[in-house]
Amino acid sequence: MRILLIEDDDMIADGLKAGLGQLGFVVDWFRDGKSGLAALSGAPFDAVILDLGLPGLDGMEVLAAWRRAGRSEPVLILTARDALPERLKGLDAGADDYLVKPFALAEVAARLRALIRRRHGQSGPLYLHGALSFDPVARRATLSGEPLELTARELALLELLLVSKGRVLPRSLIEEKLYGWDQELDSNAVEVHVHHLRKKLGSGFIKTVRGIGYTLGDEE
Amino acid sequence: MKTPPSLRGRLMRMIMLVVPLVWLVATGISGYAAWHEVNEQYDGQQRLFAQQLLYSSRAFTRPAPPYEHGEEGEVDHMALAVWNTSGELLMSDGEGLALSPHPDFSGFLTLDTEEGKHWRVFYLSDAHYSVAVAQEFKERWEVVRGLLVAQWLPWLLMVPVLLILLWRSVARGLAPLERVREELQHRTPDDPTPLSRAVPSELAPLIDGMNGLIARGAEMLSRERRFTADAAHELRTPLAALRVQAEVAQLSTTTKARQHALGQLTLGIDRATRLTEQLLALSRLDPLQTPAHLAPLRWQAIAARALEEALHVAAERGIGVELQQSVPDAEVLPLSGDETLVGLLLRNLLDNAIRYSPDGATVTLVLAADHVAVRDTGPGISAEWLERVRERFFRPPGQSQPGSGLGLSIVERVAELHGLALELENHPEGGLIARLVRA
Repeated sequence: MRILLIEDDDMIADGLKAGLGQLGFVVDWFRDGKSGLAALSGAPFDAVILDLGLPGLDGMEVLAAWRRAGRSEPVLILTARDALPERLKGLDAGADDYLVKPFALAEVAARLRALIRRRHGQSGPLYLHGALSFDPVARRATLSGEPLELTARELALLELLLVSKGRVLPRSLIEEKLYGWDQELDSNAVEVHVHHLRKKLGSGFIKTVRGIGYTLGDEE
Repeated sequence: MKTPPSLRGRLMRMIMLVVPLVWLVATGISGYAAWHEVNEQYDGQQRLFAQQLLYSSRAFTRPAPPYEHGEEGEVDHMALAVWNTSGELLMSDGEGLALSPHPDFSGFLTLDTEEGKHWRVFYLSDAHYSVAVAQEFKERWEVVRGLLVAQWLPWLLMVPVLLILLWRSVARGLAPLERVREELQHRTPDDPTPLSRAVPSELAPLIDGMNGLIARGAEMLSRERRFTADAAHELRTPLAALRVQAEVAQLSTTTKARQHALGQLTLGIDRATRLTEQLLALSRLDPLQTPAHLAPLRWQAIAARALEEALHVAAERGIGVELQQSVPDAEVLPLSGDETLVGLLLRNLLDNAIRYSPDGATVTLVLAADHVAVRDTGPGISAEWLERVRERFFRPPGQSQPGSGLGLSIVERVAELHGLALELENHPEGGLIARLVRA
């Protein structure tokens, strides 16, 4: 899951980037409102973490600009202000959730997952597909109850496929979702991950749509 | 605790003291006047009576029969007697028997009898007879006493009424005070509404004074409240950073990642410590009206100490710190103040200058006759933020250096306490000049 982080405090941003990375997210970080505002259109983000006290363009203005432009990415606001009017203002401006500093990393991750799940119309915490069950919180997948050994990238690809059930994912989109802007990737990285997943889950689990990309196989 | 004197009690005591005193004096004066009048009156009557008696004595042919006590028409306190020239008693009433003849004498005499009675006696004599008309002084005293009592009685009746009226009127006059007390008791400390000025004019200055205090108190409270709220919010950011880095350190699977997070944690703790120190400094500065200690400032000593403290941080980044002094020691911005506070001010300015200077640059502390300044060769502050950087917690956007946004607030507060003004200016050749001049 690719997350856009707009936060002016270096230490918080550094921690969120590293911590959320550990928890299976790919995080792109922008320091101020102006570059953050533009960044949303730059990559297929699944959710946004937005700090309100931003220099230059305030977080609330960034959010309002996105919503005016019709962007519907779920936005989680981070702020030091916890007064009710502040929270209401944020939610009314189009935020989907609100966290007051200091926050727990696990809570940020949980809320992001919930936001992304809701966006894809799923309410349960587990993704199910045939005999496969995927737990996005524990980062664990089981096949017919048997735990699967998957790498972080494989888990991310699996999550992406499950979330986008019924859609064909172009190869380039998968690349963008799995890798942040500052991460190196080999030209055939996606193929390698798909190959490994097929080996572990069965060849019919991922279907190749020739010339476009990949999609989830039929449920057995 | 000793109860402070009551206004009402004092008034009452004074009246209780003054009224009897006035009475006493008034009684003395009117008693004296009455005595004088009564004497004049009775003396006149005695004189007239004696003349009549002497005149009618000429008709006497022989001595009257001796007077017997209890005879009809006897008047106490009065006496009369008639003698011939040889001193033979011709006529007298009972009391008159005690009088002695003084032939050929006319005038008043005072007589004290053996029975302890005091008499006023008028003698009148002609060639054949001598008469005496006497009146007991007691009689005159009684008249005077009657007069005085008649005068006292209304006074005695009036005093309690007067006291009650006074008591009530003072109570009514002080009623607004009671209302003010009530109002003050139920008022919250941050209520800025002034007290009603509907009080007697004597109390108006007190109410005005209290209203001034109320306004200042409310202002201070709201400022402190705002500051506390701001401070609490500002503390949340470093706390959030600490928490997130601590969690990252726990989650990290590689040593490198963990080391990085732990390094960030240390930096974060330094940052939170600095913010706390700055907050404490400001909270101590805020309530001051004037510096706690006043002494002529020795700028060289203060500057030397501030430079020494800044040197360590500066050296780490290869930044040079130098002192530039254009006038003799005694002529540097002569000022009375608190050396500790001014030291804090200089340290904050130097700290800022070093923080925003590129590695290897030079920071200059200037001591001149009309100003003290710190100059750096950093990026300066863009014009649009130049005034706002003085605001508490304000930091211009795009800062890579950590900071609390309080340093300049501290500098400005100390400057203000010393009658100085802080001028911020971008140097034409780059860098920022923070200059302290007389306000």
